[in-house]
Amino acid sequence: MSAREDDIVASFVSMSGSLAQGQDVNELLTQLAADCARLLDVSAVGLLLADPRGALHVVAASSDRVADLEAFQAQRAQGPCHTCYLDGQPVNVPDLAAAAARWPEFAAVAAKAGVASVHAVPMRLRDAIVGALNLFGATPGSLNEADLRLAQALADVATVALIQDRAAADRNLVNEQLQNALDSRVILEQAKGVLSYSGDLDMPAAYAALRQYARDHNIKLTELASALVNRAVPAALVLDHARTRDAGAA
Amino acid sequence: MDKQRIRDALGAAVTDAPTPLAAADRLCAACVQLLDVDGASISFIDGGTTQGTFGSSNQLSRTLDELQFTYGQGPCLDAVAQRRPIQAPHLNGPGEDRWPALTQAILGHGIHAIFALPVAVAGTPIGALDLYRRSSGPLDDAAMTGGVWAAGLAALPMLDLMTSDTDWQKAAHGRGSWDQLASLERVEVYQATGMIVAALEVTPADALVRLRAHAISRSLTASDVAYQILDRRLVLDADDWHETDRGQEGTT
Repeated sequence: MSAREDDIVASFVSMSGSLAQGQDVNELLTQLAADCARLLDVSAVGLLLADPRGALHVVAASSDRVADLEAFQAQRAQGPCHTCYLDGQPVNVPDLAAAAARWPEFAAVAAKAGVASVHAVPMRLRDAIVGALNLFGATPGSLNEADLRLAQALADVATVALIQDRAAADRNLVNEQLQNALDSRVILEQAKGVLSYSGDLDMPAAYAALRQYARDHNIKLTELASALVNRAVPAALVLDHARTRDAGAA
Repeated sequence: MDKQRIRDALGAAVTDAPTPLAAADRLCAACVQLLDVDGASISFIDGGTTQGTFGSSNQLSRTLDELQFTYGQGPCLDAVAQRRPIQAPHLNGPGEDRWPALTQAILGHGIHAIFALPVAVAGTPIGALDLYRRSSGPLDDAAMTGGVWAAGLAALPMLDLMTSDTDWQKAAHGRGSWDQLASLERVEVYQATGMIVAALEVTPADALVRLRAHAISRSLTASDVAYQILDRRLVLDADDWHETDRGQEGTT
């Protein structure tokens, strides 16, 4: 096996292990986005999930860059990712500049992020489309057949992670789980804000502190985040723990 | 009526309103006009001491909504507690035993179906939109979709009800309500909301209220203000948020 194939296998093994252990879905999706960006050698990967109103929201991204985030969020109601969600088919835009007329607003925001090519594959659950996996490339070009299949496989894993209840045949139950994923993403970002303000940290450092505390205390990330934003757990507790761990590691 | 027209009409109902209460009433009236229902109401339930009817399409809807608080049970309370839509298409059916006392009272008013959709602000459900129908049976697809849209829009007047600081002239003449809602549902706004929670020791919903009120007062979007907060360009005092000269040092 090539090094890349090893990497792909390792990534899937790690994800299936995390799923089996009931790891927090937000953490898993963030890891999946990062794996996907590395395996497919693209500049940024975003997972966008539709709310019941049909608007797309970022539930995980491989990049913390504001410009990338803006380009993902610009596809709330238009753009290649939104088209993919509506049609349920992959969308391949090897040269975004040439396709700018199709999605003018998105193209302008994406250009600022240095995005030259865009690919999107649907997140499918039986006959329903729940969102899309979105790939940004820094140079023009298409993904080859194998890469597209890999992207689709990663999108499928993400969907499985979101709909964890195997018995979720009922559409209402599925919607509930999707809504929970969207709500918990909101609370997670709020918790990062709490730690960022209280500890004067940037967002990646705030996220790291949150994860560290959750892991070391065997608490789900979403539960810790919720306790922080409702001030049931003081920010200082999480921040002090991160400092102690950093000091220990140094 | 096609869905796009329903969506536009619901959005317009909130955009032009002079006060939050008027916006809530108009949204309820629009639901009756556009969806296949006979009444609509919006309740505010913050999980603490404050709860009550906030908007309604007519007196009967207001009465039905208030009954849920009188009896301390009902689909709108369940929708908030369980964070999901609660449907009761057959109130007089044999299997319907969720709210026995309330159900009898509501049937007495000639209503046979209720649908409650949670209204969430900053990731927290703080209210519900109730749709009432005289005939029993499920909502059709267009009506359900329209109800979900209306419940989304109801967050705007609900946020504005929570503060006296909003400048109504500016709010009413600002951007369309769908754009306003889109501006609130963004990662940087969630993060900035968390920063306000930490700075002012308020709930996430209160934090978002303040962010939105500040945005309206400066004719900015919620996203603009969120980036000012993330970049530490705004000092978050309890009374007055003012800009610093620290400039864009950047975090996200």
